[in-house]
Amino acid sequence: MNRHLTVIGLLLIFVFSLTIFSGCAEKQAVVKDEAMQEQKVAAAQEGAPAPVAADDDAALRAKEAADREAALKEQAAKDEAARKAAARAAWAKKNAEALVDLNIQNIYFDYDKSGIRPDAREILKANAEIFTKNSAAKIIVEGHCDERGTAEYNMALGERRAQEAKQYLVNLGIDASRIETISYGKERPLDNRSIDEAWAQNRRAQFLLK
Amino acid sequence: MDKKYRLALALILVSLWMVSAAGFAAGKVYIDIDAPGFQQFPVAILDFQNQKAGTGASPNDPADSIRRYLDLTGIFRVLDKKSFLEGIEPGSPEVIRFSDWSAIGADFLLRGNLRDGGNGLSAESRLYDVTRGQVIFEKKYSAPDGSPQTLGLSIASDILLALTGDAGDFRTRIAFVIKKKSGSDIFTMNYDASDLKNMTNDHSIVAAPRWSPDGRYFAFTSYKNGRPMVFLRHLKTGKEKTIASFSGLNLCGSFSPDGRKILLTLSKDGNEEIYALDIETMHLNRLTNSFSIDVSPAWSPDGRKIAFVSNRSGSPQIFVMDADGSNVKRVTFEGNYNTSPSWSPRGGRIAYEGLINRKYQIFSADEEGNNLIQLTFDEADNEYPSWSPSGRQIVFHSRQNGKSRICIMNANGMNLRVLKESRDLLVMPAWSPRPGKQ
Repeated sequence: MNRHLTVIGLLLIFVFSLTIFSGCAEKQAVVKDEAMQEQKVAAAQEGAPAPVAADDDAALRAKEAADREAALKEQAAKDEAARKAAARAAWAKKNAEALVDLNIQNIYFDYDKSGIRPDAREILKANAEIFTKNSAAKIIVEGHCDERGTAEYNMALGERRAQEAKQYLVNLGIDASRIETISYGKERPLDNRSIDEAWAQNRRAQFLLK
Repeated sequence: MDKKYRLALALILVSLWMVSAAGFAAGKVYIDIDAPGFQQFPVAILDFQNQKAGTGASPNDPADSIRRYLDLTGIFRVLDKKSFLEGIEPGSPEVIRFSDWSAIGADFLLRGNLRDGGNGLSAESRLYDVTRGQVIFEKKYSAPDGSPQTLGLSIASDILLALTGDAGDFRTRIAFVIKKKSGSDIFTMNYDASDLKNMTNDHSIVAAPRWSPDGRYFAFTSYKNGRPMVFLRHLKTGKEKTIASFSGLNLCGSFSPDGRKILLTLSKDGNEEIYALDIETMHLNRLTNSFSIDVSPAWSPDGRKIAFVSNRSGSPQIFVMDADGSNVKRVTFEGNYNTSPSWSPRGGRIAYEGLINRKYQIFSADEEGNNLIQLTFDEADNEYPSWSPSGRQIVFHSRQNGKSRICIMNANGMNLRVLKESRDLLVMPAWSPRPGKQ
């Protein structure tokens, strides 16, 4: 659960910082435009009181070149801003989709067992609905164990738990090719204490969308 | 005529054999240290006399390191210097009153001289059999690096060889995993806990460090690429390659005795099964076939059998099968959690960890599961046994009150020694083969 909050938090921060960043880019572009216009005005004022015929052509050519460059720069800035806006929109859309109902829950297992418990079935059904709504995302199923016993056996047991959860999701209609499993054995406990309550929390499968 | 001749020849041959056998027994091996009634060798190590200075103790005296190394083997009782009746008498090094040494309980005595010269250290030492009043060996030593530890190691090795007929486990290393909050890595250290070195530096998850019996390779499981994969490192060149990165679990098992194959646990075919991988050809051969977990395979030293952990009978238990996967037999029947099998290099026995009274303890049994002995008993959790190359000692992980230790004990559970202690978890020790075998 904590993990999901962190993920959502990180996504929000990312989207927010993107908004600020592209906002700044637009402002800079506007400032640039004003500066260009002022320059143009200054050039026009300079040119008006001293119409020297010999310098006329050169001045015109210089002015045209400056104008062309300014226009190009303006266009580039606009394109850049548009590109960023589009990227931001795509991001927001994608993550808004991913964020739809992301209330994915862990399931828990009995000691030294990998069978899906009755209480885990309802959770897996609810998770499967979420996975169906987010059909573009890959699903990662992590298998975890409590701290008791051998590291190697627990890595195997964690894989077994992840596989059992995956099979249950496949039976509920989730495409098997979307699901990857990984076992962390007893290496990533949620609760570090050596008591029954902590062990029960640590014997779990976690689900991530990618 | 013919008959008589043959009989005479046979008699001569038999008597020759008896003489040579007796000579061997008297000259080499004194006591069978694996006999059930074996008592530790009581040995007195005198401080070495410094030839150059003539008086006073030299900072380069190897006596202390000899004492430390002999103590580490678990088969010597190194007598306290304070109990010595005989002082070192300069000028009369040849006179030894053996009765004084047997009075304090010493069966063996080591005396030596040290030369602290310009180009390194050199020494000569004599090992005496106190009860017979005889010299067992007399030998010169030199340490060009000037290190008393080098001298001490050579002398201690010779003492061990002279008394047991086996060079023992000096000069071996122990690999183990240090698990910190930032991640875990594999380290190695000498048998006496000196010279700690990083084997990996990825702060990832690592498991199952394994040495090849010929000392050429080192294999382990690491999550450094985001998921568990098995890596094989050539120890001389440091070159590393990924040897198993299938989908799901890739877990390292033990090497075959000839070092050509390695056992793996893979879940690529649906559930955890044991496979043998040919390191040269990368040909993979599946050995187990059950719907349960099969993990932690360990090859027998003669290459004929493989011990492994399976929960096919409902809880994790040790099984033994033939090297081709046939003839599977359950070995452990006591308790409902028996894992981490490790086969004695001398064959015959399998050490493993089992849950008893809510604690993990180390046991050993023969390959049929008979003659079971519990080796550790205290309030600590004791796990991950791994045998020394001589088969005389077992290294293991011990944990109690938030402290974690790498310990060694004799194969019969006696003479426990702590090699390393930490607040970080020190787990999965693996004893290296003897050096120079490649």
